[in-house]
Amino acid sequence: MLEKWNPSVKMITVFLCVFILTVRNNTKLNIIVFISFVIGMLLFSDVKPGKIFAFLLPAFIAAFGLFIMGLFYSRNSDISIRTIFDISKEQLEALTTSGNMVTALQLATRLLAYAGMGILFSLTTDGEYFVRSLMHQLRLPPKFAYGILAAFYLLPMMRNELRTVQTAFRVRNMSGFSLRPKILFTMLVNSVRWSESVAMAMESKGFSGEAERTYHDIPKLRGMDLALAVVSVGVVAFIA
Amino acid sequence: MMTEEKSCMLELRDVVFRYNPHGKRNILDHLSLSISDKRITVITGRSGCGKSTLAAVSAGLYPENGGILEGGGILLYGRPVADMNPQERAKYLTVMFQNPDLQFCMRTLRKEMEFCLENLCIPASEMDQMIQEAAENLGITELLDKPLSVLSGGEKQKANLACLFLIKSNCIFLDEPFANVDESSALDLIKQIEMMHDAGFSFVVIDHRLDYWLPVADEIIVLGSGGQVLRRDIDKKNLEAHHDFLHDMGLLFNVSKRKDLKRQIGTESAGKTLNFDENALTEDVDTRDCAVRFSKVTIRTENTKWNRKDTGEILLEEADAVFEKGKMTAILGPSGSGKTTALLSILKQHSFSGIVEVEGENLSHCRRKELYKKIGIVFQNPANQFISQNVQEEIELSIRQWNRNIAKEQCSKKAIELLAEFGLDSYRRYSPYMLSQGQQRRLAVLSVLAGGQRILLLDEPTYGQDHLSTVAIMDSVADKVEREELTVIFITHDRKLALEYADCIYKLENRKLIKMTDAHLYVRY
Repeated sequence: MLEKWNPSVKMITVFLCVFILTVRNNTKLNIIVFISFVIGMLLFSDVKPGKIFAFLLPAFIAAFGLFIMGLFYSRNSDISIRTIFDISKEQLEALTTSGNMVTALQLATRLLAYAGMGILFSLTTDGEYFVRSLMHQLRLPPKFAYGILAAFYLLPMMRNELRTVQTAFRVRNMSGFSLRPKILFTMLVNSVRWSESVAMAMESKGFSGEAERTYHDIPKLRGMDLALAVVSVGVVAFIA
Repeated sequence: MMTEEKSCMLELRDVVFRYNPHGKRNILDHLSLSISDKRITVITGRSGCGKSTLAAVSAGLYPENGGILEGGGILLYGRPVADMNPQERAKYLTVMFQNPDLQFCMRTLRKEMEFCLENLCIPASEMDQMIQEAAENLGITELLDKPLSVLSGGEKQKANLACLFLIKSNCIFLDEPFANVDESSALDLIKQIEMMHDAGFSFVVIDHRLDYWLPVADEIIVLGSGGQVLRRDIDKKNLEAHHDFLHDMGLLFNVSKRKDLKRQIGTESAGKTLNFDENALTEDVDTRDCAVRFSKVTIRTENTKWNRKDTGEILLEEADAVFEKGKMTAILGPSGSGKTTALLSILKQHSFSGIVEVEGENLSHCRRKELYKKIGIVFQNPANQFISQNVQEEIELSIRQWNRNIAKEQCSKKAIELLAEFGLDSYRRYSPYMLSQGQQRRLAVLSVLAGGQRILLLDEPTYGQDHLSTVAIMDSVADKVEREELTVIFITHDRKLALEYADCIYKLENRKLIKMTDAHLYVRY
């Protein structure tokens, strides 16, 4: 299961694949990576297909936009078009057979492949497991690791507080727009105060960033984790 | 001599502490205090006298996390705190803070307990058993695997106590543990504290309300400004001798004259109120006399899940209620039961089904902008809703917000009048943030009523302040109710506050909104 794949290894695998895709301009590779990552997610994870689709939708829209841009408005094009709607049949034919078509497809499919990899990582990785793995496999200092976790669990509270502040403003006949400087400032002051309190509570419970500590759960690095990484990167590199 | 040294748990010697390095005001000003081991010691005093700072300084959290210790020393069991690292300090003294939401860094209590044990370098193989035993001892096994974010304030404080129980530090410093907790949870927590005290823990408690602590406290210490010890060695036996002093400090919650009057009226018509039929009373009220009316209102928690079928948990089910015009109505109920959400529904900021009428008008036909000309709200943390740097400007801005065409002189004249009404006129050049909690809240009330709103919603008016400040704000509001027929709906978990000020009390419990009668309210006394 992809959820059990050690997150640090998973992250490095995704980074390596992204790197290979970046240095290669290969449309076929992009499509294969995209499709295999999505199929991998459908077959080997608990993520619901609907959720994958919901996350992919914006990626498809962006990819389509990029495709149109690359096809019609690329700089070395000798065909000038004002809008895509008043294009003639001949122009369209000329475009689709030109180098523009290749570039446009490359850009669009590359974006899809990136999106597929990003979605695979974020949807199959539990935040806490990831942070713990970073601490043990990639030597992230506990001070940062537990700080990230604490901030993570403060988020719902911040959301509630933002709503309260917005309501307070609206009821006074003022805009409750969340990017309003006054509201941002209030939230910032609150976050500083909260993080200070949480840090003190953690310290009071004996936490210190430097001191020795034991761990209840240590994410393990198994042979399978590495094997999966080597196979994934190997296959991508081979096709490339 | 040896034994005396040993029984002294915490000793502060001539401590001088302040937050601002260049400031002149010392929060703790040459404070010397020693507290004995194996006791429950309660430290009390007005808001702003440095009690919370004292807790953080004693635990070595200040000056490490802020502020400067100008002079003096703090000894824990004879050892200077400054020489210990957090791990060592946790074995002697831990602090539980007043805001239960800001004390955890993990998702569930079990994870948080693991975190505590990891801090102390307990081997992983022993942890599960220790956690299980501690949870069984304190009777909280059902809380272990629930996400902490869904627990109520009282449950969170219980969870926190369980963590400290597990750490087994000799002394636990509680900083206003009941600030966000309703009465029955507070009593529950006291039971847990007594149990832990019997098991050998010492407690130092900071609280400005003594009624919860009188039965269990070994000693009460009263601090004045700068953390000076005004009186100590007070306990339940010699309480009478100190009664007047404590009363003047606003530390004893006595029912005021205002309420005595109301009670008298209550007893005269006791026959009626006791044979009370809930339905009859709600039907009774003429629609013209009610400011806000609920008919079969159902409120659910917000649906945040991906799953559309999950419509959220029901907070309030088919509730009927009448909030009368020109009266003060309290809504009581445990924290997290949905009181605030009910207020948000009245403001059209939370969805509901059923009918809510405001001054006879159905809320679903009412535009928000029109609605807010009638209703204002003050939240728990009034500092969040200020928009200007100056008290007078704050009111002027609000007046202008509703009357765009008002002349400048007229506007400032009106602002000063309003400020004078709430005794804030001498602060009009101050920044709102420089006011005390109680003053901030009064300013917030004024600024939300500046457009001539007839209905005021108050969310936990006692939060974060001592009794005298609460009385000051509630008295100001009550005067306005009598003088100008303002309607006030306030939510609180403080039954005594509700009894003292409300003309009518509803209780939100188990998804129901129940109108309380005298019989209901006094049954527990």
